Amino acid sequence: MNESDGKRRLPRYDEAALAYEHPLYKTLLAAPGLSVSVAPLDLLLSWGTMNSLWVFPMATSCCGIELMSAAASRVDLDRMGTIVRATPRQADVMVVAGTITVKMAPRVKLLWDQMPEPKWCIAMGSCAISGDFYRELYSVVPGIDTFLPVDVYIPGCPPNPEALMHGLLRLQEKVKLARAGQLVAKEYPPNRLDITKPSIARLSDPARDPALSAAQEKSAGEATATDESDERGGGNASAVEPFAAETTSTDVEALLRELGVTEFPKDGAPIVPVEQHVTLARRLRAMNYRIFVHVVATHFPEKTGAKAAPERFEVAYALRSVGSGSKIASWRLSLATGQAAPTLVGVFAGADWQEREQFDLVGVRFDGHPDLRRIMMPGNWEGHPLRKDYPADKACTPWR
Amino acid sequence: MEMSEAHAVLASARRARVDPHLSIKTYDPEADMMLLHFGPQHPSTHGVFRMDLHLDGEIVVKATPYVGYLHRAVEKLCEKLSYVMLTPIVDKNDYVAPMTNEQALNMAFEKLLGVEVPRRARWLRTILAELQRVASHLLWLGTFTLDLGGALGGGSTLFLHCFRERELILDLFEDLTGARFHYNTHTIGGNRHDLPAGFAAKVKQVVAVIEARLPEYAALSLDNGIFKARTTGVGVLDGDLALELGITGPVLRASGVDHDLRRDAPYHAYDELPVNVVVGHGGDCRARAEVRFAEMRESLRLVRDAIDGVPEGPINGYKPIRQPTMAKSTGGQVYVGIETPRGELGTFVIGGGDTPTSPYRLKIRPPSLHSLSALPYILPGQTVSDAVAILGSLDPIMGEVDR
Repeated sequence: MNESDGKRRLPRYDEAALAYEHPLYKTLLAAPGLSVSVAPLDLLLSWGTMNSLWVFPMATSCCGIELMSAAASRVDLDRMGTIVRATPRQADVMVVAGTITVKMAPRVKLLWDQMPEPKWCIAMGSCAISGDFYRELYSVVPGIDTFLPVDVYIPGCPPNPEALMHGLLRLQEKVKLARAGQLVAKEYPPNRLDITKPSIARLSDPARDPALSAAQEKSAGEATATDESDERGGGNASAVEPFAAETTSTDVEALLRELGVTEFPKDGAPIVPVEQHVTLARRLRAMNYRIFVHVVATHFPEKTGAKAAPERFEVAYALRSVGSGSKIASWRLSLATGQAAPTLVGVFAGADWQEREQFDLVGVRFDGHPDLRRIMMPGNWEGHPLRKDYPADKACTPWR
Repeated sequence: MEMSEAHAVLASARRARVDPHLSIKTYDPEADMMLLHFGPQHPSTHGVFRMDLHLDGEIVVKATPYVGYLHRAVEKLCEKLSYVMLTPIVDKNDYVAPMTNEQALNMAFEKLLGVEVPRRARWLRTILAELQRVASHLLWLGTFTLDLGGALGGGSTLFLHCFRERELILDLFEDLTGARFHYNTHTIGGNRHDLPAGFAAKVKQVVAVIEARLPEYAALSLDNGIFKARTTGVGVLDGDLALELGITGPVLRASGVDHDLRRDAPYHAYDELPVNVVVGHGGDCRARAEVRFAEMRESLRLVRDAIDGVPEGPINGYKPIRQPTMAKSTGGQVYVGIETPRGELGTFVIGGGDTPTSPYRLKIRPPSLHSLSALPYILPGQTVSDAVAILGSLDPIMGEVDR
């Protein structure tokens, strides 16, 4: 068949036009008792690829639960040939389901690089697409397309399982078109990229600096090494002190008065002298306040003018009594700049991580803590983000 | 070292408390130890959590957990936004139980602003919290058996069953709030959505379905030989240590401590609807599973009892909020803790400051962070496969661990 016949030119992969015209097909069909089905190899391959998109779940948060729901009974992704593989080496599609933080981003990049070609990427949910409402904050990557080539975006917070299914169907269409050579890469007008004003150039942005990609590659390579060199906040080995039942009193206020506290403000816990702090915790523990609730450090920056006050930190502690009629006992320490609070690790093992968190985020040091290093932020992070003078939208290169 | 010998040594070491800060070099410099990075992307870590496991053969000698891979700076965000804008933000913390997140936050704000919640809203909150507890425990059971049996080892049967029942509860929430997942239904002073027509009948139907199927799940898990072998005596957590670490919820009760905020410091309508607290014994993975099973039954009973008795009246006691600036605090510090499916979820708020419409400092006390901090104490002496079972039995949700 050719154009000179004046007939309509058929599409490249129309099996009716090509395969059934093939002389081999006609020969085989002539053989008695043989039934033959013929398709171009390329068609077979793209059919196979389309209908066996194996998913690698890069599930970090809420969207991951919806990804699980999609794989479970009601929606059942398996009937589309989509099964979930826990290793990148067996997967075709990375579904990034959830928020990606600057601490996680190097790992995501590493996992992406471990996936064999051909591979596709789906950004599931607003956090993966743009960082959602966390996008201006210090620790969140504003959209994974700043370091991964995203094929399909599924909006929602989180998208329903049905939406994920729809996204996979759209990816199937895309795979089919790409294999048939019919997919034209969209050219975004440059002003359209400015609509969302990303704080970092997307991979598809023509104005993106190649040095940025290089920096991201380098950072991904160093991802695991970084945590080993965590900054330590000093301190020495812990001495676990024995449990001492030294009081029979049950009245917290009487105990506080005994320890030299005279003021009991109505709008908060009483402020306890720093030197009485560990004794208080131990005595409260003997009074059945045995559940360690929290440590909260707060930054009060220097004030000038009529209400002038120097910079200070407040650390609030709370313990809870066990069993019937459970009550909270709480107190505060007031610290000047650079002053350390005595650690409670010797009295309550649970203070370990709590004090590390407050050291990490607020920058209060705890004297005698055996392992005072960052817990939430990467080891090479600079500054303490929950201080009032730390901007809420400070960029962290190279991921933001 | 021989396997049995190593077990014996480590079993005796387990009776004394492990020092999580001891350098690994002090154990045995001659030993051929291996360092295994477990996570942060691993299907059994239930999110993004990493442990460094020092192994002698297959036995864990030392475990160093790393968290913070999902640190989304929620506390910084809370200082930027006003009180009424924060409910949908904290939904995303514990994404398996968003209802109880909203409740913990709004109860703290109500205490700070001095708002009384009407009785109908308190009953409504009780019912939602208990339904959420069942949904959360169902998700835990499904993923826990998946961890134990693997996708090809029979664990996925229960996974599929549990998700089927969880969808029934999510459908109820969708009827009520319009959302499957992040509900945004609690506000300062009450609730946003009242019960739709015919809701009680639907709830009773769902409760009956799940109650009838729970024995089947118990037969598939608690009575299953593989499940027994994988959980009995594995990951024993001592009650004293659990208290000291600040562990609450089913994990604490499985260690034999009789403590439940719903009974001991009643909030919502729990003073009118008494809860039978489930206390386990043994403190191993099996005890934690048994406690959660019994809690599901107890929650379903509570919902069935409560749904017909919901009192009439308004569902919000606060002035209707039209602008974010309407909720203002002049100062003060409050802490409110409630019993979520994972334990005591607390919110500590400092009001006032330069912008009275938003918190000066807000700290969320996540129960999962405290549960995870038990790992360096209970993992040494167990095998790598037990580490997966122990992690699953603690039911951590990384969204609230890292916030």
